[in-house]
Amino acid sequence: MLWIKGGRVRSWLSCAAGGLACSLILVAQVATPPAQPQTTPNPTPNQQSVPSTTAAPMRLQFIMIDPAHGGSESGAILNPAVLEKDVNLAFARRLRQELSSRGIQAQLLRDGDVLLTTDQRASMVNSARPALYIGIHAASQGRGMGIYTAMLSDDPGAGDRGPFLNWRTAQSATLPRSRATQQQLAEAIQKTGFPVRAVGAPLRPLSNIVVPALAIEIAPTTGDTSQLASPDYQQMVSAVLANAIATIRTRLGNAP
Amino acid sequence: MIPRNVVIPAVLLLALATGMSLYLWQLRRREASSARPARVAAQHVIPPVSGPTEKVTVFVVYDTPGELRTQSISIPLFSDRQRRAEELLRGLLNIYAEKNSPHPLAPGAEVREVYLVSPDLAVIDVSSALVDGHTSGILAEELTVVSLIQTLTRNIPGIMRVKILADGKERETLAGHADLSSFYDVSQVSQVAQQLAQH
Repeated sequence: MLWIKGGRVRSWLSCAAGGLACSLILVAQVATPPAQPQTTPNPTPNQQSVPSTTAAPMRLQFIMIDPAHGGSESGAILNPAVLEKDVNLAFARRLRQELSSRGIQAQLLRDGDVLLTTDQRASMVNSARPALYIGIHAASQGRGMGIYTAMLSDDPGAGDRGPFLNWRTAQSATLPRSRATQQQLAEAIQKTGFPVRAVGAPLRPLSNIVVPALAIEIAPTTGDTSQLASPDYQQMVSAVLANAIATIRTRLGNAP
Repeated sequence: MIPRNVVIPAVLLLALATGMSLYLWQLRRREASSARPARVAAQHVIPPVSGPTEKVTVFVVYDTPGELRTQSISIPLFSDRQRRAEELLRGLLNIYAEKNSPHPLAPGAEVREVYLVSPDLAVIDVSSALVDGHTSGILAEELTVVSLIQTLTRNIPGIMRVKILADGKERETLAGHADLSSFYDVSQVSQVAQQLAQH
């Protein structure tokens, strides 16, 4: 799959070759302001998961929050009664609310228990062009919060062909901005005393996204996984993250 | 009296059948004797305890506090590059199989083979038990992947790219997070290993 550089108005052409899904995304350069996607690249069973078309005026402050997993893909089984997909969605909804209360517009990539593939997620994000993509994960291992960027070379152009970006390494050109945002967020969170680490990770769809992209993995601070399902803990972590994003909001969408 | 034109073909046919039976018996004997060493080769050879060993550095995951630490272990000495690569990773997994393992893996987790496809490309084939029973999470999965690749590439110089398979087949992820569909670039894995060690 390839993604063309510097796209404005997009159309999609999907093909299947030799059993491998191969989507070629063609983008025409035009002088008019960016239009919202007219079609969904990969239709999903739940229309709530499709980014709203009202985000255009607030493009620089628009953050796409992606609760990982969903539907038949439960993610980690944190304990017999707590599934990662549900915790991710709960955190994502709280984060959207916290960001909104700070004047930062945010959308959820899925706002229900639906299954989206990583390719579908990346296509939807690349079409919506948010200032920042945040994938939300939860895990029993670790402590506090992990902030991850794609594990890729930051050599822009590596694997690209002409004006087309290599789908597997589409994040490479934006990786310096993702890493700068990662560091800024980690520093802001560290000041609060909340445990945080910043690392690269071999994680999709991070590597397929063309805007600054991070994954956040939330773990308990006490070692007790039931903490992840606690509304108080979810609220506290969401507020910590939203505060950190608010402190760097002016730098979002800009080169480091 | 049986006519001669019947006796001669009957005798010839009998001789032919006897000859073919003898030939078939010989073939089966030959096949059985040649198959015996192959079966022996397919079994895991237990390294000689008293044989020569070498000290190597492996990268061990510590789930608490979620970091990578180096450790020196002894493995059987093999001049063969591929065999040495397999012993390295089996030595690492032996640490994870210990009673007080710093990073417990599922029962049956093992490194089946390491293929050194070319001087710069290695393929690690792990058992599907390792993948199917692995703890799910970005950090948990990443630590395992980095531990395997760093241990291999720090001791076998020249490898630039590594692919991980499970029972010879490609998997999308290790346990829902760490991407196994692509080749790992060793230089990027080294960078992440440093981040995971510094924590």
